[in-house]
Amino acid sequence: MTPLRRWLQAFAVHGVLLVGVAFALYPVLWVAALAFSGSNAPEPRVLPWPSEPTLAHLTEVVGATADDGGETIWIFGRQLLNSLVVGAATALVGVLIAIPTAYALARFEFLGKRRGMGVLLATQMFPAVASAIPLYLILESAGLLNTRTGLVLCYASTAVPFAIFQLRAAFEAIPVDLEEAAMVDGATRLGAFVRVVLPVARPAIAVTSLFAFMSAYNEFILAATLLDDSKMFTLPVMLQRFVGEYDARWEAFAAGALVVSLPVMGLFYVAQRHLVEGLASGGVKG
Amino acid sequence: MRPWRWLVAVLVATWLLPAAARATDRDGRIRLWHAWRGEEEAALAELLESWDGPTVEVLAVPYDALSSKLGSAIPFGEGPDIFVDSHERLGEYHRRELVADVGDAFEDGAYVGEAVDAVTIDGARFGVPLSMKSLALYVNDDLVAVVPGDLEGIAALAETLPEGVVALAYEANNAYAHAAILHACGGRLLNDDDSFGFVGPAAETSIDVVLDLLDAGVVPREADGALVTNLFRSGKAAFAMSGPWLAADLATPEGDAVRYHVEPLPLLARTRGRLQPLLTVESAMLSPSGAARPEVRRFAAFLASSAAAARRAERARAVTARTDTPSADPIVRAFAAQGRAAVPMSTRPAMRAAWEPANKALRKILRGDAPVTEALVEAEHRFAMVMRPPPPARSPTILLVVIGGALMFGAVVLVQRARTRAFREQVRRSIPAWLWVAHAVFVVGVLVVLPLLVGTATSLFGGPPGDVHYVGAANFVDILTARGGPLLASGSFWLTLLVTVLWTVVNVALHVGLGLAFGILLARPVLRMRAMYRVLLIIPWAVPNYVTALAWKGMFHRQFGAVTGATMALGDWLGVTIEPIAWFSRFSTAFTANVATNAWLGFPFMMVVTVAALGSVPKDVLEAAEVDGASRWQRFRHVTLPMIGPSLVPAVMLGAIWTFNMFNVVFLVSGGDPDGTTDILVSEAYRWAFTRDAQYGYAAAYAVLIFVLLSGITRGLDRIGAAAKAKVGP
Amino acid sequence: MVEIRLRAVSKRFGDTVVLDGIDACFPDRSFVVLVGKSGCGKSTLLRCIAGLEEVTEGGIEFGGRDVTRLAPRDRDVAMVFQSYALYPHMTVRRNLAFGLELRKEKRAVIDARVAEVAKLLEIEHLLDRHPRALSGGQRQRVAMGRAIVRRPAVFMFDEPLSNLDPTLRNTVRVDIRRMHDDLGATTIYVTHDQVEAMTLADVLVVLDRGVVQQIGAPIDVYRNPANRFVAGFVGSPAMNFLDGRVVDSTVELAGGVRVPLPEGTPAVAAGKTVVVGIRPHDVRRDPDGTVAFVVELVETLGSHVHVHGRVGDAVFVAAFEGHTGPKRGETLSLVVDRLHLFDPETGVALR
Ligand SMILES: Nc1ncnc2c1ncn2[C@@H]1O[C@H](COP(=O)(O)OP(=O)(O)O)[C@@H](O)[C@H]1O
Ligand SMILES: [Mg+2]
Repeated sequence: MTPLRRWLQAFAVHGVLLVGVAFALYPVLWVAALAFSGSNAPEPRVLPWPSEPTLAHLTEVVGATADDGGETIWIFGRQLLNSLVVGAATALVGVLIAIPTAYALARFEFLGKRRGMGVLLATQMFPAVASAIPLYLILESAGLLNTRTGLVLCYASTAVPFAIFQLRAAFEAIPVDLEEAAMVDGATRLGAFVRVVLPVARPAIAVTSLFAFMSAYNEFILAATLLDDSKMFTLPVMLQRFVGEYDARWEAFAAGALVVSLPVMGLFYVAQRHLVEGLASGGVKG
Repeated sequence: MRPWRWLVAVLVATWLLPAAARATDRDGRIRLWHAWRGEEEAALAELLESWDGPTVEVLAVPYDALSSKLGSAIPFGEGPDIFVDSHERLGEYHRRELVADVGDAFEDGAYVGEAVDAVTIDGARFGVPLSMKSLALYVNDDLVAVVPGDLEGIAALAETLPEGVVALAYEANNAYAHAAILHACGGRLLNDDDSFGFVGPAAETSIDVVLDLLDAGVVPREADGALVTNLFRSGKAAFAMSGPWLAADLATPEGDAVRYHVEPLPLLARTRGRLQPLLTVESAMLSPSGAARPEVRRFAAFLASSAAAARRAERARAVTARTDTPSADPIVRAFAAQGRAAVPMSTRPAMRAAWEPANKALRKILRGDAPVTEALVEAEHRFAMVMRPPPPARSPTILLVVIGGALMFGAVVLVQRARTRAFREQVRRSIPAWLWVAHAVFVVGVLVVLPLLVGTATSLFGGPPGDVHYVGAANFVDILTARGGPLLASGSFWLTLLVTVLWTVVNVALHVGLGLAFGILLARPVLRMRAMYRVLLIIPWAVPNYVTALAWKGMFHRQFGAVTGATMALGDWLGVTIEPIAWFSRFSTAFTANVATNAWLGFPFMMVVTVAALGSVPKDVLEAAEVDGASRWQRFRHVTLPMIGPSLVPAVMLGAIWTFNMFNVVFLVSGGDPDGTTDILVSEAYRWAFTRDAQYGYAAAYAVLIFVLLSGITRGLDRIGAAAKAKVGP
Repeated sequence: MVEIRLRAVSKRFGDTVVLDGIDACFPDRSFVVLVGKSGCGKSTLLRCIAGLEEVTEGGIEFGGRDVTRLAPRDRDVAMVFQSYALYPHMTVRRNLAFGLELRKEKRAVIDARVAEVAKLLEIEHLLDRHPRALSGGQRQRVAMGRAIVRRPAVFMFDEPLSNLDPTLRNTVRVDIRRMHDDLGATTIYVTHDQVEAMTLADVLVVLDRGVVQQIGAPIDVYRNPANRFVAGFVGSPAMNFLDGRVVDSTVELAGGVRVPLPEGTPAVAAGKTVVVGIRPHDVRRDPDGTVAFVVELVETLGSHVHVHGRVGDAVFVAAFEGHTGPKRGETLSLVVDRLHLFDPETGVALR
């Protein structure tokens, strides 16, 4: 290849990639610009650059307080903590429940395995609309409405099947020899699982947990329905306030959106290497 | 291990502390829900400081979400003791027993007649009137010297106004605003016998009036609330027909943005009727448990008291419904006067069902998409569809016999298998494995399978909440026959299915196309800044779904959206004026907006999958092809693509399922606009469950149909995947 | 350091019979090689002995102790896997120490033994690496080290050399045998390579389709194969098989060639049809030879030549000493020094 051709090719490749990056980044920057814009009468803007730059919206959202029986509490902090706790608990519960199950599905033959997998797969095609109300009734009878535990259980209902599929594929990709070597070396089945399989599957487990965390952290319809105490709210429910049908406060929404999205984007950045690995190990075969 | 312990400790702590706190101090409190914002919310906070009763726990709920939250909390003993909502929802609440008689909280003789009527059902009071809201006429005093007495006079003024100034700004395609003109023509949105009112001569006359105004350029096309505010605030409208919220928006720290006053709506010379806006009486309502507590009733009376009304008027220009608290504020007085010349919104549950068809018909006509009569008749039909009596109850005998038979058969088969030795041997072997899955079977059974089974069973039931009965397959028959209407009528299952399929195909094609393109570029053997590109291109995946949807909705916003900005900048550059496009008023543009959003948020997944798949293509095969003389394109087409195909198929399948059920984007970006044409099956199911009279059975039937469709699709794709795999080998 | 006894061991996966009634006794400290074609059940048998697979029927004893239902860890065995199965998340040091840690050995003991084994295998410089940073040969050594360090009663190897390149294979093979002699444990070694089998084994077990074909010292198996399968499998190049009929003290091959039965050939009733097995090394060029051999291809190995050609219509291979062979197209006359007779139906050696 001539130098000219090589140069042209590099130019084309980077050109296309830069267009892609612009496409991917633009909405994010646009929201960021809106978040830092001072004017209350929004004008059409093309360049994602704030007009009358201000931190007012950000401080309003982040510094939100509420009155709790005479005490002023930092409500935003509460809600952030709620989001993190609910997300972490969902990831923990979902992955802990899924790990042994996925392992059994990957390694053992047993009665009911195929049928069980079929049922699990089928449940994934059912839109949540239909099961939301029965789920609500179940939570109600357990006295878990308007609690974070109830919310976590709801999220677990989607996180568990997802994690089972992901982790089964990950476990299947681990050579059986490793466990057998451990068992010959003197481990029980459980010991081999804990000391060899789990450490080897760590990247896959991390990615699965991350996804479970994100799905819970990002969810808003269920949270908006189930929670009715602003001290219990997760951040998405808080955001909902800013974009009501009759009065939308886009700048405040944008500021809130930024604050909400940043943690997950950070996590995503940390995990993105393992992400490809996890998916490559057959994770998407769900 | 240490970080885990730390995490568990935090979890336990955050769990237990608030729970413990709750157990002790919620009792005795009063829980109040409201949808107030801004000054009204501030007024409430001020009022609460002077309340001397039990602690009030306040929750602000978005107006759109309030009624569904109430409906899902109060029946279970959760939710508020007292809540503030518009009176027109009372009928529905009453039917569902979410409200109770307010008893001694209602002060006889203290309120204007319209307000009293508004909260009265069958002679009992179900709310305490707090304030009245209606439209009225805002007049820009800089542009208008003498206010004409009728609408025609205002239209005539248009000629005299400066360039770029409209005569009257109001939300012409919103049935709520249009009702004022409809009333002037002698019509009603809902008749007293619960039949659809927005049809027939009066309705047609009212639309003629509006069409004339639009054609003459007196009224801006496709204005929404924000545009009305903008036009009037910037002095680009001589008159505005709007509610008290506009006055709040006009206020700035340095005084009002424009010089204006408010007066009642004018006459309509053509019919000699007066424009009468719909009246909403914001009332404090009590849940059954709240109404039983004297302190809650006392609190309701406190909220409705003269002092409270004065505070709200002063702080938020709220128009009181009390007769004994006149305000000095001329604007409040004008709205109070308008309130006595307004038509209280009907409290009947049917009112809720009337909005959607009325709005759709109005928009369709004003856009010029359909002849007046035809559109109105169609609206009437839609209303009838939602309001039609639930299917008759059927005896569930057949179902029970079938289920019983199936159970019996299953039991017999099981017993017979259990008798064989091989089966017992299998059971013995399976026991250790069962120990590994038992807990998950329980959890998934309770949290996933059981709700689904109940949900599926729901599809065989019908009727409003509180009067649910078994209806057999009637829901399915209704859906599949489009309730007797034409099969491809707008809103029918089949048309929605068509849109859903189009939606899925277009999106998946875009995801795969963009994902492949960027994935292939990223997987190039030599690429500078690969890591940076990958991180940046993956960003859309990391952004929460609903944030993405709302952000894109903002970008397509007609007033300040980036897309609008871009077209206008383009126009400036070309030297022509390009009118901002109302993206959500046409199917093609609304659909495009949805697709753009979804393509953005979905392509990184495919890209990552592609990169992973490309990584597993053995180099030697490609080199063999190169040695064989294949060009770069041929190598891609005949070697790479067939080899990564099988690992893409599951991802495509997953993507197709996600897209098929991508509720967030459709619901939040276009919201089904225009006319529900961009709705897909899931969002349609959601509407039946949560906005159309809570027809859960109907929604569940939709869900079952979606399930059947998706199973079919995945099975088909699975077969394609298996075939592709068989071709390439393991 | 135990004697291993298998009693009618059978293994089925569902309906497929993988091992069918295997009886055997391997003396203490012997080097046992299980050999057979791929898929014949060697690994399965090994795994049954290790306890990784449950036998469907039959029993296994280690030194008189019934271990049939014991878990692998209770059998005091160590195994080197074909894939090596090194724990990817542990350093070489921890890979070696893992088995001892599981057995709750004292730290000092563990360290001492790991050091000792690392020295023995010359992998001391690798101890702090992870397996992914090792070459194939190094991994193999670590896998062996992991087995040795535990000082088990029984060593097991499942095709440990198949992932190494040929030259390395020879040295490691010698190492394994030496290690066995030094450690004095009982070793069971699986391979499909009969050269490996012959060179390593004290006891050779030839398996086919889950059935033991013959057990014995390698030389016995080579000299007196029990049946046609064993005869064809053991020895390189493989034995030639020709159809024939016993006439008087000769055997008449198809095409009328008569081969005199050499001394020591078992007596067989005249007129019986047989399969004649002749090892390539058991023929000589001799002008008096009765067997006409048409040369088609000559392979020179240095010390030997392998000559491919035909006897009558049948394909035949002969091996001669020296480095110069006949030419293509030449016809040689051969004398047969030794031959084997097999029953044409059952394949059993006629004795
Ligand atoms: N877990 C299993 N399930 C079913 N069949 C198996 C299983 N393991 C091995 N087999 C079958 O048993 C036979 C013997 O396998 P194996 O012992 O691995 O052969 P090899 O002699 O090559 O080591 C093969 O035909 C194989 O397909
Ligand atoms: Mg094998």
